[in-house]
Amino acid sequence: MILSNTEDVPGSTIREFYGVVTGSSVRAKHIGRDFMAGLKNLVGGELKGYTELLQEARQEAIDRMTQQAQAAGANAVVNVRFSTSSVAQGAAEIFAYGTAVRVE
Amino acid sequence: MDWEPRDFPENNVTDVHPLKELVTLVAGIAAATIILTLAIAFTLDIGMRALPAAWEARLFDGLWSDLDEVDDERHAAAVRLVDELALDWPENPYTFQVFILDSPDPNAFALPGGAIGVTRGLLDSVESENELAFVLAHEIGHFSGRHHLRGISRTLAVTVVLGAVTGGASGTMLTQWVSEVTQLGFAREHEEEADRFGLDLVEKRFGHVNGATGFFQKLPDANAGTVGRLGAWFATHPVSPKRISDLRRLARDRGWRASGELTPLDPSFYAE
Amino acid sequence: MDPLLQIALQVGPFLFLLLFGFIIGTLVERSHYSDIRKREAKTRTLPVISFRRAPPSWQVSSGTLVSGSTVVSIDYFKRFLAGLRALVGGRIASYESLLDRARREAVLRMKEQAIASGYDAVVNLRLETSRLASSNRKGQGTAGVEILAFGTAVKRGA
Repeated sequence: MILSNTEDVPGSTIREFYGVVTGSSVRAKHIGRDFMAGLKNLVGGELKGYTELLQEARQEAIDRMTQQAQAAGANAVVNVRFSTSSVAQGAAEIFAYGTAVRVE
Repeated sequence: MDWEPRDFPENNVTDVHPLKELVTLVAGIAAATIILTLAIAFTLDIGMRALPAAWEARLFDGLWSDLDEVDDERHAAAVRLVDELALDWPENPYTFQVFILDSPDPNAFALPGGAIGVTRGLLDSVESENELAFVLAHEIGHFSGRHHLRGISRTLAVTVVLGAVTGGASGTMLTQWVSEVTQLGFAREHEEEADRFGLDLVEKRFGHVNGATGFFQKLPDANAGTVGRLGAWFATHPVSPKRISDLRRLARDRGWRASGELTPLDPSFYAE
Repeated sequence: MDPLLQIALQVGPFLFLLLFGFIIGTLVERSHYSDIRKREAKTRTLPVISFRRAPPSWQVSSGTLVSGSTVVSIDYFKRFLAGLRALVGGRIASYESLLDRARREAVLRMKEQAIASGYDAVVNLRLETSRLASSNRKGQGTAGVEILAFGTAVKRGA
């Protein structure tokens, strides 16, 4: 599965459009991580726990999106966009979407 | 470049039954909370037991001066009785203080720092020195087992853990309720232990245990209406009939005399 | 007071709301999904892509902005479940279905608007998500989540 965030796939031509595919994952941080992040906030720097949490969630969103594309017979998802939004206190949604296409 | 409508699978929702998730989460969080609470309570309990009485006295010094204390001519007699009873507890690390509280309900408390609170209602209702001695000796028993501090450590542990889990704000009612429920079993155990300690002191002082249970016999059976099994479980103090029979059995087992002459109360009790 | 009654009074309303939220919430979700599937089948043939421009072969003759949006909220039961989940971390499945429903609803409204105005396709689809903080509890609570779908509806020439 080819993923790109441009409107074409470099080196190949789009033959068919199948529509917009989406992938989402809603994750919560746990109080242990929260506590460590609170401490880290005192000195600044990377909050490793949160970086990991969001990476995991983003990977799942991508996986779900490509699964949809695969099931529809596409071999690429182009113009992929990500968005992260807080949907509730302590919960974030990572969302990915793009257009499923068949390229040659 | 052609448009070709296709159907996509609905894979953005994790397939898990909400009730199953609820059960898993509740069970897991409850187990973690209980384990954490027990661990903290256990640690505090050890710390409280090891706390030297002198530190305890300094820590709580003056804390009870806000109590609704009254001048009562019977105060001196009560203080004397406490001191005399404490003589039969050789390891006593406390210097006891006695407060008389202006309340008509017969009751007595053991407060951190070696303070014993006695209500006016209690002083009014006792009929012999033996009876008063047992109530005071029972409170001394709480000090010997450090029950007054250990009760605090449990409440503290429950408050801290539930506060963390619920984020503090919403936890107050729950915390109070849970700490009450968890106190019950321990509190009853402590009362029974203090009863045994108290009866021992009374026997040492008077040479018999006659009159010791007089106070309970006079207590209105507060739980009479709702007792049943649940009522008895929810009462922090063992219900009176059971308490009396437990004490009688203890006296019989130890070979203590159940009959003997009752010592009259100090003259200050009769001066009206 | 009877201790049993006291406990019942304290816990009762909460359990009732939980059960009420679960039953009604499940029914509402089920009927919403069946409605969504029906409408999706109906609008299936309208091309929607996230490309900035329509493919040249479509020979676009005219276009206009179309959008669809919805604000959704979660039921009491699922909110409680999400609250528990927030203690231990991990995937919050109860919010996933909410957002999935909302997103598909927003896209459907957009497509229906395009069809009603006589357009043949939607290009450059964009999806936005935002949380509406509730006015109480200093904005800590969540009143709802808005999903907005927008794009350019185009007419294909001959």
